Amino acid sequence: MATNWQTTLTKRQAEGRRRLWTAPLPMEKAAGWLVLLPVAFFFVYPLWKLVILSVKTEAGLGLGIFSELLADARTWSAVYHSLTAAVLSTVLALVIGVSLAWLCAYTDIRFKGAIHVMAMLPLLIPSYVMTLAWTQMAGPAGVLNRFASWLMGFPVELWNVYGLDGIIVVMGLSHYPLVYMLTLSVLYRIPKELEWAARSCGASSRSVLGQVTLPLALPGIASGGLLAFISGLDNFGIPALLGIPAGIPVLSTLIYEQVIGFGPSAFGRASVLSILLGIIALGGTGLQWLLLRKSRVDQTSAEDRSVRYTLGKKRFLAEGAVGLFLLITSFLPLLSMASTAFIKAYGLPFLAENLTWKHFLFVLRDHAGTREALGNSLMLAGLTGALCLIVGTLFAYWRVQRPHKLGKMLEGAVSLPYALPGMVVGLAMILTWMEPIPGWQPGIYGTVWMILIAYVTRFFILQVKSSTVSILQVGREVEEAARISGGKLWTRWGRILLPLYAPGMLTGLFLVMLTAFTELTISSLLWSSGSQTIGVVIFGFEQAGSTTLSTALSTLIVTAILILLAIGGLWKRYWQRRVEG
Amino acid sequence: MNEARVMGVSKRFGEVVALHRIDLHIGKGEFVALLGPSGCGKTTLLRLLAGFESPSSGEIWLNQELVADQDRRMPPEQRRIGMVFQSFALWPHLTVYDNVAFPLRHQQHVPEEYKQNPRARVAQMLEMVGLGGMEKRYPSQLSGGQKQRVALARAIVFNPTLLLMDEPLSSLDAELRIQMRKEIQHIHRELGTSIVYVTHDQSEALAMADKIIVMRGGRIEQAGTPHEIYYEPQSPFVAKFVGRANFVKGSWADSSTFLLERKGQTSLPVRVSQDLTPFQREQVLPVRPDQIRLHPWHDGQDGVKGRVQHVQFQGRELLYSIQVGEEEWEVSTDIATRFAYGDQVAVELVV
Repeated sequence: MATNWQTTLTKRQAEGRRRLWTAPLPMEKAAGWLVLLPVAFFFVYPLWKLVILSVKTEAGLGLGIFSELLADARTWSAVYHSLTAAVLSTVLALVIGVSLAWLCAYTDIRFKGAIHVMAMLPLLIPSYVMTLAWTQMAGPAGVLNRFASWLMGFPVELWNVYGLDGIIVVMGLSHYPLVYMLTLSVLYRIPKELEWAARSCGASSRSVLGQVTLPLALPGIASGGLLAFISGLDNFGIPALLGIPAGIPVLSTLIYEQVIGFGPSAFGRASVLSILLGIIALGGTGLQWLLLRKSRVDQTSAEDRSVRYTLGKKRFLAEGAVGLFLLITSFLPLLSMASTAFIKAYGLPFLAENLTWKHFLFVLRDHAGTREALGNSLMLAGLTGALCLIVGTLFAYWRVQRPHKLGKMLEGAVSLPYALPGMVVGLAMILTWMEPIPGWQPGIYGTVWMILIAYVTRFFILQVKSSTVSILQVGREVEEAARISGGKLWTRWGRILLPLYAPGMLTGLFLVMLTAFTELTISSLLWSSGSQTIGVVIFGFEQAGSTTLSTALSTLIVTAILILLAIGGLWKRYWQRRVEG
Repeated sequence: MNEARVMGVSKRFGEVVALHRIDLHIGKGEFVALLGPSGCGKTTLLRLLAGFESPSSGEIWLNQELVADQDRRMPPEQRRIGMVFQSFALWPHLTVYDNVAFPLRHQQHVPEEYKQNPRARVAQMLEMVGLGGMEKRYPSQLSGGQKQRVALARAIVFNPTLLLMDEPLSSLDAELRIQMRKEIQHIHRELGTSIVYVTHDQSEALAMADKIIVMRGGRIEQAGTPHEIYYEPQSPFVAKFVGRANFVKGSWADSSTFLLERKGQTSLPVRVSQDLTPFQREQVLPVRPDQIRLHPWHDGQDGVKGRVQHVQFQGRELLYSIQVGEEEWEVSTDIATRFAYGDQVAVELVV
């Protein structure tokens, strides 16, 4: 037998009948370069440009602009306000997010599904719309103060949302869902036996919470908190709407004013401020990495959603408190905003004879800018979503298949534009795409394509993360089973992988499209006439004092988001029934 | 003509060498088990045969066709191999029928009669694995054992050249594992396909395989029939891994006499009937737990004295740990031999 083998073998080798089956193996190694080069160009190069510009002075490279700006009191005031707003809003988000997560994860509180959806709303509704809603509820002429004045019979100002305290409150309320979400998933994964063990050792329920549950949940709480902190630094809409009128600059609004104001060395000054903001944000990310590096929560332990504490008589109290909180922070502001949109002229009381549809008709039908912006935003959301969906899923697939250092590095690179504040990214995009390579001006600066590139760069990582979740869940063996069963590339993707990756891909698509559709920060820097977005138009209405128009458009946007959310929820339910049985 | 040959194959992952120049022949209709602890390279070898990895050097031949060397590799989808995965790897969005019919639609050189009438072929296969009439179910509606049967049906439905199985029973419970062994043997008899079966469970390998390849650290430690592997281990590793052997210290007088070392006494000669030449250099005698008898100890008697350290009741047998001098020996006896913790026993070796 063995000799037979040897002879056939030598004969075949002598005949040189080696078939060429596949592309030679070095092709697989080339894939690494195919990923590396675009990532470097689209994601890293713009930030490099930004750094270069900040140290470029008339006398060559130097820290001239830095020292000039660091001596300016306005810079320090903006740094102070940025940090105060970010830190205090994070504290608020932590308190709300952790308590709500604990109640939903462990107690027998009812209506958990509804609470969960309501708690997610601030993430889905853009923060500038929420801010607008708050100005209608708690502004000087808002529902709250008018109601108080009517009660007392003379003008009273209970609370005015314009100012640093307003920024902190609205920011905290916009970002607590981040803490809630991450804490919730960690809480579900803490085995309840750990709490039972502490109980059986004689610990009271208070010390179980303090010494077992909270320390174990720390990774989730910390990463949620740092996400809230970074989002606070990043946010432009809230400080722009609440801070600029009150004369309170933060770094993101200061950069915006620099770029919009033009003037000599405007870009240089803006890039120095961007680097300051970027350093603070990356400092936060670094801190998070340091904290989580040591975390020992077993991510593989299964989720346990059973009730661990019965609240007894206190249940009504807890349900009432949560309900009231959600009512005041979500419903009332949005209702106040909607009511303003129906008022004939801003300031009139909400009475039947003062109501009208005309603002809705005006923004949808008569105002060319809005129609154009709707078109632009829809197109941007669609294209950004599609590009991120395809390229992001392929990137996630490549990253999961080859868990090596290069993959980790490139994932870090593509997540940079999202980790950095939007203002920083917007500025870096301007600097890069005016003249990407010395001598080549593609002429896309000032067009809607510029915004598209910026959106894809910034939101890419959202799609990558969502797709990765599905790809990891499906696992490698499912694809290998298809290969070994004879499935060729197209069959594998079409019949097996795409249907199974669909939930993660669509979650990512939904997230990217929604974020792109309502984006404000980057487009406020990059727009020019003809390329404005919804966010820019609403912001413009508000700055021009056309509050009835800005609220009408915002109300339409919120309605659209809620409808989309309902469709998404129904689809998810259908999918779960189909696959998970 | 379905046979497979691995010639001088090495596999490196970066700095780590997973396989060192492996030579292996899988004959027509042969059931070969790759046995070893985790990290020994058995799964890597299986993945090389399937075509999911390329060898760093060496050649892999299937049916007298070179399918992989260090430069090129035939992709798995062209190799006409059936494979059963540890996690079953059923496609959750497809019905049992669509799962099993997938290879009929996409494999190359599927017999024309199967292609013409896939329903009949799938029904026949499901009948064979005991799942007749379950075509319309989704994988989420099946139990673990049923999922594994579907995976098996999917792997053999198109008459593969070679059937690869990667620890197929490790995610099933103990009773089901024993039952599935019989089914796999049955299928092997019916189809006559060559099978390469990866496992870390020595009893699975001993029970089903025609040939066992014991692997360790990326090398083949010993290859042979189950009988050879169990009764004539060629290295301490194989003796320990497959037979759970105790290593008794002493010296070899000749190839059939072992002089057992005793503390403060002359050494005791033991007659050895097996071929254990490889152990002569090691100065040890491998003794499996069932090759030791225990008797009550009488003072003044000549023999090996031990003390019972642990007793475990196993239903059919008793497992003892016996302290002999400095060492602890594992002993299994029938249920009639009863000693309690701390008892003095006379230990007899029957090798």
